[in-house]
Amino acid sequence: MSSMVEKYRNNFLKEVEANVEEGEWVKMCMQCGVCAGSCPLGKHWDHPPQEIFMMIRAGKRDEVLTSDSMWMCTSCYNCIVRCPRELPITHIMHGLANYAKRLGLAPKAQPTAWFSQVFWDNMMKKGRVNELKLGLSLYFKDGFVSGIKESLKHQKLGMNMMKAKRMSPMELFGGHGVKNAGDLQKIIKKAQEIENARIESYGK
Amino acid sequence: MADEMKIGAYICKGCGIGDRLNADQLASTATRDGKAAICQQHDFLCNEDGVKMIQADIDNEGVNRVVIAACSRRAKTEAFAFENVTLHRANLREGVIWVRPDSDDQQETTQEMADDYIRMACAEAKYSKIPESSGQQGVNKNILIVGGGVGGMTAALEASKAGYPCSIVEKTATLGGATAQLHKVIPTKAPFADPQENPVAALVAAVEADDNITVYLNSRTTNISGAPGRFAADISTESGATQTKEFGAIVQASGFTPYDANKLPEFAYGKNKDVVTQAELEALAIAANGGAIKRPSDGKEVSSVVFVQCAGQRSKKEGHLEHCSGYCCSASIKQAMYFKDQNPDVETTIMYTDLRTPGAGGENFYRSGQKKGVIFTKSVVSEVVDGANPTVKFKDLILNEEAEVEADLVVLATGMVPNSGQPTRAELTIAENEDAASAKAGEEVEIRVDVESILNLDYRQGKDVPHMANGFADSHFICFPYETQRTGIYTAGPTRRPMDAKQAMDDAMGAAMRAIGEAENAGLGRAAHPRSGDLSFPSFRKEGCTQCKRCTVECPFGAINEDEQGYPVYNESRCRRCGTCMGACPVRVISFENYSVDTVGQQLKAVDMPDEFSEKPRILILACENDAYPALDMAAQNKLEYSAFARIIPIRCLGSISLSWITDSMNSGFDGIILMGCPSGDNYQCHFVKGSGTAQERMGKVGDTLQSLSLEQERVQTYEISITDIHKVPQIINDMATTIEQIGMSPFKF
Amino acid sequence: MSDIVATNQTILVVGGGISGMTAALEAAEVGKQVIVIEKRPFIGGRVSQLYKYFPKLCFPTCGLEINQRRMNANKNITVVTMAEVTGLEGEAGNYTATVKISPRYVNSNCTACGACGDAVESEFDNEFNYNMDKHKGAYLPYNLAQPKRYVIDPQMIGTDDAQKAKDACKFDAIDLDMQEETIELKAGAVIWATGWRPYDANKIQPYGYDRIKNVITSVEFERMMDPFGPTGGKLVRPSDGAEAKNVAFIQCAGSRDRNYLKHCSRICCMASLKQSTYVSEKYGDDANVSIYYIDIRAIDRFDDFYQRVKEDKNVTFIKSKVASIVENKANGNPTLHGVDTEGYNRYANEHDLVVLAVGMEPSVDKDTFPIELKVNDEGFIEYDEANGGVFAAGCSSDALDVNRAVQHATASALRAIQVVNRVAKAEG
Repeated sequence: MSSMVEKYRNNFLKEVEANVEEGEWVKMCMQCGVCAGSCPLGKHWDHPPQEIFMMIRAGKRDEVLTSDSMWMCTSCYNCIVRCPRELPITHIMHGLANYAKRLGLAPKAQPTAWFSQVFWDNMMKKGRVNELKLGLSLYFKDGFVSGIKESLKHQKLGMNMMKAKRMSPMELFGGHGVKNAGDLQKIIKKAQEIENARIESYGK
Repeated sequence: MADEMKIGAYICKGCGIGDRLNADQLASTATRDGKAAICQQHDFLCNEDGVKMIQADIDNEGVNRVVIAACSRRAKTEAFAFENVTLHRANLREGVIWVRPDSDDQQETTQEMADDYIRMACAEAKYSKIPESSGQQGVNKNILIVGGGVGGMTAALEASKAGYPCSIVEKTATLGGATAQLHKVIPTKAPFADPQENPVAALVAAVEADDNITVYLNSRTTNISGAPGRFAADISTESGATQTKEFGAIVQASGFTPYDANKLPEFAYGKNKDVVTQAELEALAIAANGGAIKRPSDGKEVSSVVFVQCAGQRSKKEGHLEHCSGYCCSASIKQAMYFKDQNPDVETTIMYTDLRTPGAGGENFYRSGQKKGVIFTKSVVSEVVDGANPTVKFKDLILNEEAEVEADLVVLATGMVPNSGQPTRAELTIAENEDAASAKAGEEVEIRVDVESILNLDYRQGKDVPHMANGFADSHFICFPYETQRTGIYTAGPTRRPMDAKQAMDDAMGAAMRAIGEAENAGLGRAAHPRSGDLSFPSFRKEGCTQCKRCTVECPFGAINEDEQGYPVYNESRCRRCGTCMGACPVRVISFENYSVDTVGQQLKAVDMPDEFSEKPRILILACENDAYPALDMAAQNKLEYSAFARIIPIRCLGSISLSWITDSMNSGFDGIILMGCPSGDNYQCHFVKGSGTAQERMGKVGDTLQSLSLEQERVQTYEISITDIHKVPQIINDMATTIEQIGMSPFKF
Repeated sequence: MSDIVATNQTILVVGGGISGMTAALEAAEVGKQVIVIEKRPFIGGRVSQLYKYFPKLCFPTCGLEINQRRMNANKNITVVTMAEVTGLEGEAGNYTATVKISPRYVNSNCTACGACGDAVESEFDNEFNYNMDKHKGAYLPYNLAQPKRYVIDPQMIGTDDAQKAKDACKFDAIDLDMQEETIELKAGAVIWATGWRPYDANKIQPYGYDRIKNVITSVEFERMMDPFGPTGGKLVRPSDGAEAKNVAFIQCAGSRDRNYLKHCSRICCMASLKQSTYVSEKYGDDANVSIYYIDIRAIDRFDDFYQRVKEDKNVTFIKSKVASIVENKANGNPTLHGVDTEGYNRYANEHDLVVLAVGMEPSVDKDTFPIELKVNDEGFIEYDEANGGVFAAGCSSDALDVNRAVQHATASALRAIQVVNRVAKAEG
């Protein structure tokens, strides 16, 4: 918990610098707001990037890490291109989201966070995304009834994809994968270790 | 020179003048009415051949008053630059043919206009003398520098490098001024990333090594009399020993006093020892000597510091400074770096409303501060609460909420109060004396100020250079940053405007340049800006003087002192040749060789005055030579027409207008009079400070004269004209013509 | 031009703007011989294109008139217009400059009577008004132009109009065969006062300067106020000539931005504050001004002016770097999109006209100086011993306002005088 005394101290800023990818850039923001203005999804952000940076400096740890704003980023890179101070804002947003999730502070029902996890798990099984299963798990996210409704809504799209051989109904039963998926998992595992070590090393 | 006056009049027929006007008639006007001894016509007077023709008459015929009847006095000046003669221009091109339609029915009045300008130019010639320097002073290359801070030392070193010996008078025991109290300074060179070494030691060493520089420590200038080229300064030490030295010009680099933070109880200054000013932090940094900075209360190493920008500045609150001191944003960044460079874990927060770090260096320094981890919070600090650690209460303007933060140390960025000495007599009069009239009449106003004078000028109008906004001894002019109202005295550094050490050093260099310029010019008897090079100077007929002191009071440049009997004492090289004294003199005893009550008065008398029933009124226009006259020229250039009844005389300044010109012109039958001067008021544009304002006051009295003559008030009008009022000036003239049509001709035509 | 006398005690001033004029006058008025090289056909530089100065709101031509009069009266000063320094060799006390002089096609016989201008029909882009209008093929650059001498646009040479101009001149002032000339000049010291140019607004793509008619630059806005300017002194929209009452100013248009100019151009805040008064001057209470800014840098005594403008209820300040401008096709209004960062307010504001407060960049590109100089990343010349007898004056040294540029130029004159005095002493 951040007490009033903690506010406006650099503790959280230091934490961000130590744990968040590109976090050391946060202090460079001069509050011009061009990132917020140029973000195509800007209006969906409770706290636009420059405000998040100010909140970090103000020590608002909980508000920042539990916020769903940085989950709104779609990596269009508009903000990075426009930032007069060269802040890698997209990366910082992802870094913050990632950090929040690692700490278990990310909002529970945040759809982007949920979808990212599903996507990852789906892909990790065989090294390729199973579109059918991914689609269905998305439709049935909120339960069986809404899943059916949602599926029917997209029925035509599904049929067309199948016609065009972009999706196969057989995917439901296993689906295609990469050769030697086991090797892939080893690679990923190793990458995960490196990444964890990197995270550990932040702030050292 | 045997000054037997001989007028040569030269009529140009080029640029359409010959087509539009009867040149032979102009010539006969010049010889008959203008009493020109020689009159020649030329198809193209400004070309080599034309100029040679005139020069030949000067050389061979003894012509010493040259009347050029051609274009405006502002045109072809390089061609008509004759020496040892007076020059008079009858403006037939911009003043006549370009402002009149080319039609037969207008020919008569157009020709009359031209004839009058010839008469006027000849009349001016008749009453002009060739100006010669008074010889009151010679060239004195010694420069007096008041103040031994970085500005003063720079001025001395740079002037010395150019070959001008300098004396520095410093009131304390050491050189270096405020900058000497700094740990480091704001960077002056790329990459503008880190605080820079203090330049004072190197400057002091250079000053000490320079044989051309004399330093007076523990000293003040207790009296400065004289004028540029012959200033005599009493330099007194604390012990009272005084020596008098002569100087050509003066640089005043008297620096600033830090704002008294005791006026900021809301920030717990004085209550909490760990609330310090920027100046006090420098002392802490020097004491730390590269180690951790310790706070005053308990000697604890500072682990968090908050800088409060604009403390007691940019505020209209009683006792606060209204101005921004300009240097404090960069200074706080620099000071935050003292902490960060020593230990990056120290938390440094700068609370600002607008971060002002302009230019290439400024923005780089700001970025460097951020890179080092200095936190910038756009906020307004409302209070610093006393406690074991001071607590800063503020509104975060970005997050839009009230907040507070505790810190080991709070630094207040308080501003600069200029060391500009005492206000002038006029400033005091305006401030303290509701009844300004008594001051105008020359009544003594006791100077009661608790501020010590810096210069102690022995000037009738006060001991120091006049103050501009916020008490700075600044120039009023954008294009002329060193133009003070005391010729030969140039202010530099924070006494002129708020600035940091680097800027003060640059500024001092410019001031040194101006001082050198004035020392040289005064020696030759030349006027300073804006009438640069003018050799004429005012003198007065003592037998006519009534010792009324109007001239000494009204001189915008403090050029005139009084002797024991109250007679004016003119100091040629202080004078800027505006003629305000001439306009002030009720008995018309003040004149310049080439500008006097007569040079203008005889011109308006020379105008041919048609009778009351001719339907040809005459409108006299007295136009400021710097703004209104060029505007009239440019109107002509754009072929904007105005009344053929106008007769325009350029004057140096509206302040120089003698009331006799107004009464004389009324008496000689002018139907309307228009005065065109520069805008007055706070943002006055008059380079002679107050010409328009003075003229307007004086014209207030003309109303009575008009009344006594039973003339309508509308016949005399004063306008404030800027050089850009190109469309407005013809309109004003035409409006006057219309007014005269309505109210009728003046009955005073003989 | 071969009659110019220059020695190693001559001070060469490159650039005849306010800084160059000041440096030249300071040096010449203490008796130094000065040659001023000016690229354009007239002296006065950028200030001649300004309507008013901040913070006094006085007119730049007033000071120009004084300085021009001083220059005309001073025999120590030689002005060479339409000239550029293409080469510079040597060291302090001994420089040789190569100067290229472009033909004006008008000689010193010209009386500025205007007959040639009346005689021709052809018109060309008017650089003085940032190409917002045209001038005739034979023209006086502006009312107060000095030298007061007409210019023939080189594009007119070879046309019938050129001959017409020549025929109209009674004073043999037009010489259509005039050729480019290259001369060499000696100098003891060089004052580099080449000034600044407005940042190219086209480079700031999200602001649509090249696409949206009612998005203009601050320097263009300035020209609109001149009664003899491209709009005859009216503040109107380029798209339809409608009155521009609701005007937005975008600060840091090209400044403080690593995509464009990294530095703060210093003048733009004050310039926009000043220009906000233009809107009030024209439209009184109907004026509606919005200033989008990052920091208002009304430094030191200029702050008074900021406070005064802030009190004007018709002026709104928004802390925001505008993200993008989109044109409302129906009415031509530019719509500004962005976020006010003071409290996070998203806006989409429509204005009649948008003025980009464009930054100030050095006129001479970094790697094109004719002699090696110490130049910082931003392209400004630093004061450095290594620069020998070449001294920057005014905006070639930093982004400066007029007052500071003149102050700086005055100081530079002293540096140059030091060099030539040293030479004079050595030569006895």
